[in-house]
Amino acid sequence: MIANRGMKQVKTGVRLTIVYVLLVALALFMMGPFLWLLSVSLMPGKNVFANPPAILPTFIDFDNYVKVWQFMNFPKYIYNTVVITVLGVVTNVVLSSLTAYPLATFRFKGRDLVFTLLVATMIIPSSTAMIVHYLTIQSLHLTGSFLGVVLPSAVSVFNIFLMRQTFLGIPSDVRDSGKMDGASEFRIWLQLILPLVKPAIAVISLLEMMAFWNNFLWPIVVLDDPQKYPLAAALTFLNGQFSYNFGWIAAGTMISVLPIIIVFLFTQRYYMEGMAGAIKG
Amino acid sequence: MYKWMRSESFTAWAFMAPGLLVVAVFVFWPIIYGIPLSFTDYSVISETHYVGVDNFVNAFKDHNFIISLWNSLLYVIVVPIIQILSILMAILVNGKIPGVKFFRTAYYIPVVTSMVAVALIWSWLLSNNGVVNFLLIKVGIISDQVSWLATSNTALFVLMFITMWKGLGYYMMLYLAGLQGIPSDLYEAARVDGASRLRLILNITIPLLRPHILFCTLISLMGAIRVFDEVYILTKGGPGTSTLTSSVYIFQKGLEQFNFGYASALGLIVSVIIAVFSVLVFRFNRKGGVNPY
Repeated sequence: MIANRGMKQVKTGVRLTIVYVLLVALALFMMGPFLWLLSVSLMPGKNVFANPPAILPTFIDFDNYVKVWQFMNFPKYIYNTVVITVLGVVTNVVLSSLTAYPLATFRFKGRDLVFTLLVATMIIPSSTAMIVHYLTIQSLHLTGSFLGVVLPSAVSVFNIFLMRQTFLGIPSDVRDSGKMDGASEFRIWLQLILPLVKPAIAVISLLEMMAFWNNFLWPIVVLDDPQKYPLAAALTFLNGQFSYNFGWIAAGTMISVLPIIIVFLFTQRYYMEGMAGAIKG
Repeated sequence: MYKWMRSESFTAWAFMAPGLLVVAVFVFWPIIYGIPLSFTDYSVISETHYVGVDNFVNAFKDHNFIISLWNSLLYVIVVPIIQILSILMAILVNGKIPGVKFFRTAYYIPVVTSMVAVALIWSWLLSNNGVVNFLLIKVGIISDQVSWLATSNTALFVLMFITMWKGLGYYMMLYLAGLQGIPSDLYEAARVDGASRLRLILNITIPLLRPHILFCTLISLMGAIRVFDEVYILTKGGPGTSTLTSSVYIFQKGLEQFNFGYASALGLIVSVIIAVFSVLVFRFNRKGGVNPY
């Protein structure tokens, strides 16, 4: 008996070791490139193609960050990115929770039709969308504006789904009690219902924040003036500008990537839960 | 206030109006408008004519378009690889062992960073004097430096690798959500019956993950056929046409050469192909092609 238990312990020990070795190896594979970039950005004058490559920095100097910050007018690009991202997040949260609410709780003619049409758009792909979006934005005279950048993705069908799924989980008593007190439907939605779906709102905010922060192509298409570019778009520009100043490019890239990683680290719990909820919906 | 304004129906439409307007203009309209557009020679510069099916006829004579379609289909190879690896990763991080949350987060970092940054890092890592060549030569897998992204034989596969690297964490998370929904007594019962670990995975985990596998395969499939960002940033379709995918080609025709009519026709063809693929995945899954039963 005792020998048996000992064997078992050794077995779990071995298994646990294997699991940790795999976990660490994978972590190196997924994080290594970022750590390497970080270390390149912290070592001015160090060649990216140094042999052997530097995964961990041997010295730390923020010179690259200071220089690239001065050279590239980062405050301007960060401002652009923040405006576009905030605008995108707000429109998505407001529009998707407005649209999804009646779909989940009201009874009215055409509800099923609206819902079916929305489902259909998720299955039908639209490769030409960007071309038509460009024409639409042009005819609305919004080329060159942040509104033109945000509008095509101001609300996504996916988000409407996610909100509808969440609203379905709220008992109808909430709405009934609001009606009893004589509140309008809008006030019920704003003051009684919305506070109950904060987690879902957090998920949509995060998803959209990442999407808008990282988007580079559509802003380049719509914005004619590179001074209006968000960070991701400006970075492609930075690469072309001084293709051999690796330290600067590395520092610039780190500056653009860090905010979103930090936000993710602080909000990941909501995010993971939301992802799990989304697939059930 | 009029009586009809107080009806539930009116309120419902009032709530939905702003959102549905945006959806109508930016989701429905591109689908609808793309169809007539593809029968014209619309370009910003000159007058527009109705050209019948010319665009479609030209598309199938267009050597580059055929190559781009082929490359997009070839890209689908990455889909099953991503699914298998991310399911294994999800199983790995599903255990309740200390520090596992840290690893979940670490694997997710590539997902939240922009493709611009990811592409930049990998373009450096993969260049002639880069880290990848250094390591591979050191280990002895290759003897000479390879220009991974500038060689037509390797470029497309390297792009697939980058797509995979950036996407693994995303699918891992979705599968992890699925794994955590599987009641643990199922495993215990099977273990009492003396089932091996592999058996548990094949006979319990995979069948119960089926809805997740369907969902993930579909989104990853659409992503693969429509792959754009990494290709556009890293190779722009080159060297030659070796990494020219259909989305990149459509973008070049449409928004770089302003040949909107032709680009719309190409887009329509790709859309039909994606729709067919989606239906196939649904069929395949319903028949149980993915699970061992």
